[in-house]
Amino acid sequence: MMTTLIQKITIRQMILAMLALPAISLFNVVSAAEDSPLEGDVSRGAISWGQNCSRCHEMRDPKEFTDVMWRPIVAHMRLRGGLTGQQQRDILAFLQASNNPTPKKVATNLKVSDSSEPSQSGQATYNQTCIACHGADGKGALPGVPDFTKSDGRLSKSDDVLIKHITEGFQTPGSPMAMPAKGGNADLNDADIKSVLSYLRESFGQ
Amino acid sequence: MKNNIKRKVIACAIALAFPLTAMADAKYDALKQQVELLQQQLQKVQAALEQQQAQSATKQDVAELKQDVADVSAQSTEWKTSDSIVHLAGYGDVSYSDAENNEAAFNAVRFNPIIHYQYKDFLLMETELETKILADGTTDVGLEYATIDLFLNDYVALLAGKFLSPLGQFRQNGHPSWINKLTSAPVGFGHDQAAPISDIGVQLRGGFNLGNDTSYANYAVYTANGPVLEILGGEIAEINTGGRTSNDDGELVYGGRIGFLPIPMLEIGFSGATGEVAGDEEPNATRDYDVYGMDFNYKYNNIRLLSEYIKQKVGSAANSESPASASWDAFYVQASYRFMPTSWEAALRYGEYDAPNNDLDQKQWALGINYLFASNAMIKFAYNFNDGRQGTLADSDIFQTQLSYGF
Repeated sequence: MMTTLIQKITIRQMILAMLALPAISLFNVVSAAEDSPLEGDVSRGAISWGQNCSRCHEMRDPKEFTDVMWRPIVAHMRLRGGLTGQQQRDILAFLQASNNPTPKKVATNLKVSDSSEPSQSGQATYNQTCIACHGADGKGALPGVPDFTKSDGRLSKSDDVLIKHITEGFQTPGSPMAMPAKGGNADLNDADIKSVLSYLRESFGQ
Repeated sequence: MKNNIKRKVIACAIALAFPLTAMADAKYDALKQQVELLQQQLQKVQAALEQQQAQSATKQDVAELKQDVADVSAQSTEWKTSDSIVHLAGYGDVSYSDAENNEAAFNAVRFNPIIHYQYKDFLLMETELETKILADGTTDVGLEYATIDLFLNDYVALLAGKFLSPLGQFRQNGHPSWINKLTSAPVGFGHDQAAPISDIGVQLRGGFNLGNDTSYANYAVYTANGPVLEILGGEIAEINTGGRTSNDDGELVYGGRIGFLPIPMLEIGFSGATGEVAGDEEPNATRDYDVYGMDFNYKYNNIRLLSEYIKQKVGSAANSESPASASWDAFYVQASYRFMPTSWEAALRYGEYDAPNNDLDQKQWALGINYLFASNAMIKFAYNFNDGRQGTLADSDIFQTQLSYGF
């Protein structure tokens, strides 16, 4: 009987603790309201997308749905995955930025212009845009993402080929999804792409 | 003498006049040709100008064109900026099964459409219908869930209606056939077994950060009508957790789950619920109802590990036709591996189910091979090695194939 009573108390305490969580969450809202950006962020979204969606199911290609269709899907997944509203907006921003077709002019202008300057270091670009899928160690954080550290791997390709892949997007054979153009970050300029490629070769190249 | 001079002068003048006249004729002809050429060119220019004018847009044409562009632009953007969005999702599957001591058959066809209707960013109506063909050929339609979800802020959403049970992982997130890596639910996690399926009530759920960019927690708390016991022949036959709009015993169930994600791709969850429950024919014979659960989910590169334990327990009720307490508990451990860069993956699962009716007790090894046509479509082949009471269905090994598609 004592055991049953202890179990009962434990369960009821656990339930009460769970009921208290929304109150804690509301407190978090107040405390975090000032420094919590309201708009979705593509870079944060790429990381949240990589860290949450494949926990339960295979990664869905951003190109599967239009911007409009992603809205209710991500709202639904916020509930299923226990995401915050900020994560929802970030992931939505990433998906909506990653499902755009590559501009045709890119295909006819593959040479990197030397006139532009990188907006940030290659490492910063990698950590902001690429790390969610390619991982901090460059070995790939998701199924199908190539291992940069292999001597005969992706980095054995020429700069022209890799710049083309980064700029236009690329689907590794056998991979369930394609890397979006510019990793989904449309703000990257030619110099940023050249810079991040240099970082890849310095950090992961053989 | 003077006459001679005059004659000479006249002769000279006439002699000079003839060449000058000849020169004037030549210039005239040249000028005439030039004028004619210029006339021809002018005619061509005029013709070209007239043609160009005929093909050129007038100011009115330009204005009309601008209006057309504005109309098309408005039409193409109005849907994107509308407050309400409707979206159809869902999944379907077809299964073939060949069990020991049973006829082989295509034994399941299901179509589960999910409709999302979103108003702005704070309201989502979502519902899933399960339509399936029964053994006698009739079609069964069930409302899996239907909730109105209000996003109160970044951390709290209020759900009202019929919802999938938030206790554990498999029933709320893992059961759709395009997500489940095996052809069947783990033993004890099917309908009317150890894991609660759904309920009708209200729920608060959400997530929050644990202080850094990589650690999060999520939660769900709810109150609902709770399950009902099916009592047959003086014994508890099953516990119905499918969600009912009646609550004959008058007691609500309270419960929830909290999940911790200390690092990305790792989630550990704890579930619990408590309340009162009664038999469907004896609402006054209430008894305690408790649920405990724990779940684990980890993914590393191509490997995914899942595990879950759940237990439902009802206390005794002296005034019941079946006064004894009862419990249902089940657990499973599952691993799956994707053979990149191919589209093949393997899955292995071990599970146990312990029910009040010992004929339903079961241990199972499930071995599966899947081929993924896409991230949301696959064909699965699985062999389930079942171990139950001899002679019962729970003891019959089964080979299953399933084609599933999530959309």
